[in-house]
Amino acid sequence: MSRGARVEGHGALTMELSESVQKGFQMLADPGSFDSNAFTLVLRAAFQSLLDAQADEAVLDHPDLKHIDPVVLKHCHAAAATYILEAGKHRADKSTLSTYLEDCKFDRERIELFWTEYQSNKHSLEILLGSIGRSLPHITDVSWRLEYQIKTNQLHKLYRPAYLVTLNVEDLVGKLKDASKSLERATQL
Amino acid sequence: MLLDLSEEHKEHLAFLPQVDSAVVAEFGRIAVEFLRRGSNPKIYESAARKLNVSSDTVQHGVEGLIYLLTESSKLMISELDFQDSVFVLGFSEELNKLLLQLYLDNRKEIRTILSELAPDLPSYHSLEWRLDVQLASRSLRQQIKPSVTMKLHLNHSGDHTTKILQTDPATLLHLVQQLEQVLEEMKTNHCRRVVRNIK
Repeated sequence: MSRGARVEGHGALTMELSESVQKGFQMLADPGSFDSNAFTLVLRAAFQSLLDAQADEAVLDHPDLKHIDPVVLKHCHAAAATYILEAGKHRADKSTLSTYLEDCKFDRERIELFWTEYQSNKHSLEILLGSIGRSLPHITDVSWRLEYQIKTNQLHKLYRPAYLVTLNVEDLVGKLKDASKSLERATQL
Repeated sequence: MLLDLSEEHKEHLAFLPQVDSAVVAEFGRIAVEFLRRGSNPKIYESAARKLNVSSDTVQHGVEGLIYLLTESSKLMISELDFQDSVFVLGFSEELNKLLLQLYLDNRKEIRTILSELAPDLPSYHSLEWRLDVQLASRSLRQQIKPSVTMKLHLNHSGDHTTKILQTDPATLLHLVQQLEQVLEEMKTNHCRRVVRNIK
């Protein structure tokens, strides 16, 4: 995969997108290959693969997509998923998105559709991307126990309270593994 | 509550009236020092030479003293009970007084040493904290993600360990609220009643 277009837009940092992504989008733009319905389905499938932890290959199993060459289908799905991630990462605005999609020969209607889907999934996408990364063990909750110490075999008549505190910790490396598995599945479809 | 001294123990302690009180006081000092830092057999030998007795005798005497002090401290027996327990040994009043003073002077420290022998969980020593705001990461730009990083200093059986942990402001507030609740617990009627009645 060779480096393709560098996309620049107002307020967005440059996104690096490969030729493969561009080709995938160009196919998606073509009403002859993907009618309106199929386009929406592929788009939704891309979001689902990224955001739904349970999503798998079945995400493209839809009667309205059966007539499309599976290789093409996978390519376009992967292209959409890749672009969505890049756009999310750079917090792309509507104008940046529109510019790139226009370059890929999307018509006005499809650009609007893409933007609508992107908007409704943007928040979840940002949460997903924001949770990727190494971090220190993260405290999520605390459990406690109050006891009154009476004696030990070494010391009688203690008569003092003791507080046992457990800090429940979530190791975010675990989360990183979940996120990367989900992305792995998305690109292998 | 009286101490139950075994015959062997009484035999070992029987050495004490045979030396003068300055020596007993010195033995007392050695006994506490051994509790603090562990025993040193050379001390027994040099003392034995000076007193012209076997080093075994000295050792038993000191160990008898150690056991007397630790058992009394462990049970936290009263002055009266201590005096009554020692009375059976048939020592002079001067020696009894010396032993009682030895007990009272060192009881607190001995109990602290004994408490280090108990099963121990890491205990809180201190906390350092830092407030950070994450602005961007490789996977997401333009963030404003505050977090609190903490270095928890713990003591565990004499060892000092640290743990570095992180949390977000919302969880931190939740932690504080929960821990404040814990502190309040001791003030409830239930806990007060328990503390009052177990003595």
